[in-house]
Amino acid sequence: MKGIRWKFGIGAVLLVGMLSLGGGMAQDYDPNANLNLATNADPTLNPWTPGAVVESNLINTIVFDQLVRYSPKDLSPAPGLATSWKVAPDGLSWVFNLRKGVTWHDGKPFTAEDVAFTFNDVVLNKKLGAQNAGNFSKLKSVEVVNPSTVRFVLNAPFSSLPYYLAYYAGILPRHILSSSENPLQVANFNKKNPIGTGAFRVAEFVPGSYVRLVRYEKYWGGSPKINSIVFKIVPDPNTQMAQAISGELDFVGVSNPALLAGVERNPKLQVLRQSQNLYYFVALNQNDPRFRDVRVRQALLYAIDRKAMIDSVVRGYGTIATGPIAPLQKAFYVKDVAQYPYSPEKAKQLLAQAGWTPGPDGVLQKDGKPFEIDMPTGQFGYLVPATLLVQQYWKAIGVKANVNVMEWNAYIQKMFVNRQYEATLAWWSTPPTPDVTPYYASSAADKGNNIPNYKNPDLDKLLEEGLRATGVQEQVLTYRRIQRLLAEQLPYLYLWYPDILSVRNERVGGMADINTAAAFQYSSDWFIKR
Amino acid sequence: MTAYILRRLLQGGVVLLLISAVTFLLINLAPGGPTSAVSLGRTAEEREAVLKQYGLDRPILVRYLDWLGGVSRGDLGKSYNQGLPVASLLAQRMGNTLLLALSALALTAVLGVGLGVLSALYKNRWPDHLISSLATVGMSVPAFWLGIVAIIVFAVQFKWLPSSGIFTVGQEFSLADRLRHLAMPAGVLAFTLMPNVIRITRSALLEVLTSDYVRTARAKGVSEQVVLLKHTLKNAMVPVIAILGLITTVLFSGSVVVESVFGWAGLGRLAIEAANGRDYPVILGVTLLVGAIVVVVNLLVDVLYAAVDPRINHG
Repeated sequence: MKGIRWKFGIGAVLLVGMLSLGGGMAQDYDPNANLNLATNADPTLNPWTPGAVVESNLINTIVFDQLVRYSPKDLSPAPGLATSWKVAPDGLSWVFNLRKGVTWHDGKPFTAEDVAFTFNDVVLNKKLGAQNAGNFSKLKSVEVVNPSTVRFVLNAPFSSLPYYLAYYAGILPRHILSSSENPLQVANFNKKNPIGTGAFRVAEFVPGSYVRLVRYEKYWGGSPKINSIVFKIVPDPNTQMAQAISGELDFVGVSNPALLAGVERNPKLQVLRQSQNLYYFVALNQNDPRFRDVRVRQALLYAIDRKAMIDSVVRGYGTIATGPIAPLQKAFYVKDVAQYPYSPEKAKQLLAQAGWTPGPDGVLQKDGKPFEIDMPTGQFGYLVPATLLVQQYWKAIGVKANVNVMEWNAYIQKMFVNRQYEATLAWWSTPPTPDVTPYYASSAADKGNNIPNYKNPDLDKLLEEGLRATGVQEQVLTYRRIQRLLAEQLPYLYLWYPDILSVRNERVGGMADINTAAAFQYSSDWFIKR
Repeated sequence: MTAYILRRLLQGGVVLLLISAVTFLLINLAPGGPTSAVSLGRTAEEREAVLKQYGLDRPILVRYLDWLGGVSRGDLGKSYNQGLPVASLLAQRMGNTLLLALSALALTAVLGVGLGVLSALYKNRWPDHLISSLATVGMSVPAFWLGIVAIIVFAVQFKWLPSSGIFTVGQEFSLADRLRHLAMPAGVLAFTLMPNVIRITRSALLEVLTSDYVRTARAKGVSEQVVLLKHTLKNAMVPVIAILGLITTVLFSGSVVVESVFGWAGLGRLAIEAANGRDYPVILGVTLLVGAIVVVVNLLVDVLYAAVDPRINHG
């Protein structure tokens, strides 16, 4: 009896010792830590609600899982709520196998019905005008095959479907939202208590102040390593940066590279220089016959010193763009396409060939009409200084751009909705898929995202070919041809791919380095170092 | 007096109705639309669906009358971009703005009047020069710049004060924490608003100090303290009350710049976000609320005049 008690005692001491040792080894992170992030305005906690954009995207990515995520290695489609998928040989349907054992934040099981609800009743319900619904215009419906399998039925082949399913396409809970008339406008859900399947759930939303998330213990990927995440609402980018420096924020996206001065030397902060499929461009309205001449488009690009623009406008944080597919899409990006190095002489030559000759005042003219371009711009980011530089470069070759600086919302209405412009400088940010149909197809001209209203049947054919391609090799070949065509024809004048800059406190670990969009899809891996 | 107040309130009601009509017309004339519908990347189909949900496909007069009907029932409508009732948004933000406004007002009044009196008493001597240079700085420095400098000094360098927000997460009910958050925004506001109060207090006091009855009081041997506190200060207060009234309306309508720099969720930030995002119901709600504040504060100022100066009679 005595012996047993003695042995038991030793055993207990050993056990405690091992536990504490093991704990010390496995946890070089603080399981009770809180991560501080920022957003610039009150978010809307439903990824599909009209107007839920930059201020909401990161939070929604954490709270709502998507069927597909981006691989943190190369941004290719990787499993999310779907574990695997397969496209039918005709390219007209896709079967997605769903992860089992996933629960919503209220404990109810996640099933195929939720996926069908999200797409059939929300995204495809035209009356709701869901944010990003246009990305799924080729989707006819989602069928439930069994509780853990869905079939996406399409109107036309759509090889990029998995990429779009990873692009702000969170799955909504049918059991919570199906009873409401408009599932996108449920205030109690959007502004207080959303239910997702993500690694963190919303615990508290204080309007104008912060949103506090806490870890969801029953998360399918295992309990997250951080206890809570606070998204502070900090509208001013200067204040955000000041808070990153003072340690009040752990991660801040930097929209203006000028803010990095002073941060680059701070040993506690890491400046991340990442990329995204984003390019700045000048659009020349193709409804204006002057710009339908490819020589004119090429000349206007030759006239711009893009290297100098990158150095002055974004302090060198960017690279010259060659087309809509950015270098981060390693498998698809091609570099050996038509290039337009800065050459005012070449620009003048091309314009002369197109019939534009210098007039008495130095402004080029053709048939007695001077080359004047109406160029509205909006007050946002660095659009205004960039536009003014382009104006100067064009002036040097005898083209007169009349720049009209407008308030942002009014500019969108004029340029994008009404297409009342001749030239304008803007940008597109797209998912990392080679498919660029929404921005280039003739069908998207005048009312869709084809801002320059460019119509080219050859390009349309190639774009369709790309969407039909079922194998990667086939895709690669098609998209190389598309990039060559675009570089030659210049539907948009490509300016630069900006570096996506952010500042991160060195105490944060486990955040994928590839880019912010992908990093936030894996929030359960994040940890705070002790 | 009661009849006067009632008459003024009635006039105020008419003013508000006119304000609402003009605002409604102007915001609908302005180019652009709610960002939930009009933004880069929204297709024509999505845009039209959303505009229809808001009823923006109806003629403007119908929409105005519809809105007016709602207001008469106490319903200010629903925010387009936030999806929340306008009344609840205004209530949330008004509380925060009031807290900041009253703190800044108290600071402005106490410091402004105090420094103004000091500067009048030491006319053309070094305290006067020091105070007027301070006032010149306060007047010419933009609030956003001062705010950012204050953040860099007090939050980033010395880490004495939090750089933004209204309270620390989890310390909602701590008074000390609230005061720490208030210090910088209220201080910056007071510093930029104070100069007017200083100048007006100084000149009003100087004028009264040279008047005959003050000379008489001094000749009677009344102490300088009594002359100041009993005879002059009250009489010098009429223009000061006027300027404080003006400052109150400015503060109560929310300071856009200071609220943005310090992440203070007040009325000013709500207004600017609504205007940028063409959130028509919120713009109307804020305008109406601020209009009502101006009407009421002006009335209060006029009533206060009568209390301070018996010669003013609203009878």
